[in-house]
Amino acid sequence: MKNPYVPMPVKLKAVRLENETGDLKTFDLVFVNSGDAENFKFVCGQFAMLSINGVGEAPFGIASSPLTKEVLRFTVKKYPKGVLTTALHNLSEGSTLGLRGPLGNGFPLEKMTSKNLLVVGGGFALTTLRALTKYVLHEKNRPHYGDITLFVAARDPGEMLYKDDLAEWSKRNDIEIVQTIDKPVEDWPHKVGFAAPVLKDLAPSAQNTTAVVCGPPIMIETCIKVLAGLHFPDEEIITSLEMKMKCGIGKCGRCNIGSKYICKDGPVFTYKQLKELNSVTV
Amino acid sequence: MRTTPRILSSEKIMKTIKKDKINTVLDFLIKKYQVFGPVQKDDLVVDFGRIQNGAQACLEFSNTNEPAKKLFFPQAETLFSYTGSDAAQVSELKPEKPRIIFGMRPCDAKSLSLLDAVFDGPDYKDPYYIVKRKNTTIFTLACRRPRSNCFCDSLGIGPFSKKDTDVFMADLGDRYVFEPITPGGADILNKIPGLENARPTDAERLKNLRSEAESKVARKVDLDNLPEKLARIFDHPFWDGIHQKCLGCGICTYLCPTCHCFDIVDEQKDDKGRRIRIWDSCSYPTFTLEASGHNPRATGKERMRQRLMHKFRYFVENYGEIACVGCGRCINHCPVGSDLIREIENINNLK
Amino acid sequence: MDLQTKLRQEARKLLEEKLVDVVIGYEDEGAPLRTTPCFITDPQDVDRLVWNPFCDHNLARYLTARKDKAAVVAKGCDTRAIVVLINENQIERKNVNILGMPCGGIVDRKKIYNHLKNGDVREAVLKDKVITVKGLEFTADLMVDDFLADCCLSCRHRNPVLCDVQIGENLPPLDVKDEYKKIKQLEESTSEERWEYFRKTLSKCIRCYACREACPLCYCQQCFTDQNFPAWVGKTTDISDTIVFHIMRAFHTTGRCVDCGACERSCPNNVDIRMLTKKIAKDVKELFGDEAGLQLEEKAPLSFYNEDDPQDFIK
Ligand SMILES: Cc1cc2nc3c(=O)[nH]c(=O)nc-3n(C[C@H](O)[C@H](O)[C@H](O)COP(=O)(O)OP(=O)(O)OC[C@H]3O[C@@H](n4cnc5c(N)ncnc54)[C@H](O)[C@@H]3O)c2cc1C
Ligand code: SF4
Ligand code: SF4
Ligand code: FES
Repeated sequence: MKNPYVPMPVKLKAVRLENETGDLKTFDLVFVNSGDAENFKFVCGQFAMLSINGVGEAPFGIASSPLTKEVLRFTVKKYPKGVLTTALHNLSEGSTLGLRGPLGNGFPLEKMTSKNLLVVGGGFALTTLRALTKYVLHEKNRPHYGDITLFVAARDPGEMLYKDDLAEWSKRNDIEIVQTIDKPVEDWPHKVGFAAPVLKDLAPSAQNTTAVVCGPPIMIETCIKVLAGLHFPDEEIITSLEMKMKCGIGKCGRCNIGSKYICKDGPVFTYKQLKELNSVTV
Repeated sequence: MRTTPRILSSEKIMKTIKKDKINTVLDFLIKKYQVFGPVQKDDLVVDFGRIQNGAQACLEFSNTNEPAKKLFFPQAETLFSYTGSDAAQVSELKPEKPRIIFGMRPCDAKSLSLLDAVFDGPDYKDPYYIVKRKNTTIFTLACRRPRSNCFCDSLGIGPFSKKDTDVFMADLGDRYVFEPITPGGADILNKIPGLENARPTDAERLKNLRSEAESKVARKVDLDNLPEKLARIFDHPFWDGIHQKCLGCGICTYLCPTCHCFDIVDEQKDDKGRRIRIWDSCSYPTFTLEASGHNPRATGKERMRQRLMHKFRYFVENYGEIACVGCGRCINHCPVGSDLIREIENINNLK
Repeated sequence: MDLQTKLRQEARKLLEEKLVDVVIGYEDEGAPLRTTPCFITDPQDVDRLVWNPFCDHNLARYLTARKDKAAVVAKGCDTRAIVVLINENQIERKNVNILGMPCGGIVDRKKIYNHLKNGDVREAVLKDKVITVKGLEFTADLMVDDFLADCCLSCRHRNPVLCDVQIGENLPPLDVKDEYKKIKQLEESTSEERWEYFRKTLSKCIRCYACREACPLCYCQQCFTDQNFPAWVGKTTDISDTIVFHIMRAFHTTGRCVDCGACERSCPNNVDIRMLTKKIAKDVKELFGDEAGLQLEEKAPLSFYNEDDPQDFIK
């Protein structure tokens, strides 16, 4: 019987600061045991529990693509009162930590094939969307999808995540990238304004399109409204939810909305499912 | 989920022993098994504890304060330990000797089948629970004196229920009778010295005692339409009032035999540490409080709703059964006199 | 007119004249030997209010979270808790209307269960000072005064110390004997005996926090036990963790605990919680001559410093 509570040892290969505020760091991890590396098969949108002995454990979305075998990437926001996130930010390269996963359902990639994709991300919730974008842009996968639009919102330019990736993708002609920041800043060549109104102005076509929206709760809510207004069908609006988690496997009882556990049955849900669960709230 | 093997009725030979000899049965079992049974903790509290000799068991009890779940899902349990940042060490989960729980009430026995659905479900298996469960034989003891807040009947259990147990026992006044329910239970029964075959009249006697006990289950509650009803009243103003007097303590969830929520924390001293899981409660604000300070179940209203929804709706949607066995502990022990049965009646009566 | 009728009258008046938004009192939902807190907003409902020796909750506990204007039914000890809450700026005097009840003591259900050898009481009828209890196999007439809570037996403030309306006449002071009998026994025992006593009673604790939640003075937004950064107390039920929780909670009530006994009565496992708080209250009284919650604008002895504070305990 596999023990689902025991983490696999991983080493912190590289860590770097991701934003100007200094509360976001990206961690590249490698498995200590090669067997673990081989067995670790995940899909975009899944998450894992990271832990530090003596400190604790917490869930983080996997930000690297399943096709990138070398490292597993996570981007972690540090909370002043957060036990684990604070400890993670204090780790130096070479440290050992624990990883449990992959957990959750991930994005319904099968169902998305041959569709246009509208990927909408805000703040540091861009993590699993980065994995998704990298995955669909991979030369093996790109032919299976229609037009791809990546819409990214951040408070200001300094908070924009994955700047290297965005720069690289911007050079391609098979993905459209829209970036917006909350308030005008000198020399900012992109859009200005909150995610929802900018998205509304952009008015992406709902025709044969699946939208994936991740971000802070308020952004998810407002963007879903915009998309529904643009006639995106409920089942074509996909989002990823967050709630406090402990077990990650549907047993500790805390992360449910209705009868579904976000950790096990989610974190990815369609807007249709959320409506059936009685609420977008818990 | 677990399917309990049943034995043919022709093999079901009931055994009996005089009450004053029951200690010899326990003393025999203690040699081969770890035996747990009801022990008196103080004048008012009886709880399950390890029994080292037969005399420690207290079989004249109504029900234990704490439910039997703690023998499978202890309040605090080490998942693994470690030194520094070294890899996790899981200690042997199998108990040194197989275990017997002697004198569990039928409601608690049923609760284990509900916990099986969670911990031994189709997806993730919980080895800590499963190994204990697999290595435990259960002797249930029928209730001749159901308590005033027992309503197990309403959940299809009843004070003489023989479900979800290995050996069924009942108190006949001067004797105990034992009925094997599973092959494992029969095996053990066959080995206990000093048991006699039950008397021909015992079956009839049991039947009478059973109806007598059932007639003493005074409280009933109608659960037929509750899950569907709950699905329709998530946003009903009813929830604004029901939680007002609730203190937000953990009594109803900790003492409930079916509540299974837990927390996971690390503990460390010098470089030796362990990751443990401990009971947690949906009544506590910290249960869902996130690092950012956001709490999706911010007030007593959302928390009380979650408790009732989980037991009577979500659990049904996930596992096909209500997560309550009618033991009445939450009612007996609620410090402000919240009464689950009355709450359910109120919900049933909502428009 | 009996006190219950008078109480209902006052409550009706307060609600009808819209002097308060809610009356917090006790009602009887039919469970034997107990009442349950109720929140009445409609003057039509005031007849739900009851007053009897089963009104054992300290309703001051519900005041701190409120923003509206509330009337509260309060016994002597409950009014003391309200005074502490006002002094600690947790509630505003003008937002609480105290319906003060002179109190002859409340019944400790557990004492009755104990007397009945853990018998299951299915019915209880109170008439004058006699409780007739019925179970499946017994009927008994019990005297209220034989089953009063321990804190009531040594109560020196049976009458409200602060109220807007007092329901009924003052009761004469109780002739308190042996207030600290149990505490003195503990003080006189050896440290091994004491430890054994602590171990035995505290090992029954399941960390449900009912004691904390029932206490009107445990109002901290986040209790030290719930903090995880840093974590002050382990979360297990190992005696080392439990004892830290209880000792720290007890210390936190120093000079504030009004000895209402709410913590102890709420405990599902019969933990002797009051022994710690009572011992501390005794020390406070002996060292500072102070009893909590007797006067408005009075500070708890440990919350300020006096030149002539006793120092002889600092060794
Ligand atoms: C599916 C999922 C994916 C996530 N992905 C990311 C990500 O990619 N990057 C990122 O920075 N954050 C992510 N989060 C949020 C992250 O898990 C929390 O910020 C983190 O748990 C805080 O831990 P802490 O120990 O610092 O906080 P503390 O407040 O000290 O929390 C103690 C424990 O509570 C739990 N907890 C507290 N807050 C949360 C929360 N918001 N969500 C889940 N559990 C919580 C954890 O188990 C944590 O160990 C994700 C959350 C979920 C549920
Ligand atoms: S909900 Fe109450 S009555 Fe039902 S099993 Fe749990 S404790 Fe017993
Ligand atoms: S009420 Fe009793 S069991 Fe609960 S935390 Fe307090 S002492 Fe422990
Ligand atoms: S994290 Fe435990 S149930 Fe979801």
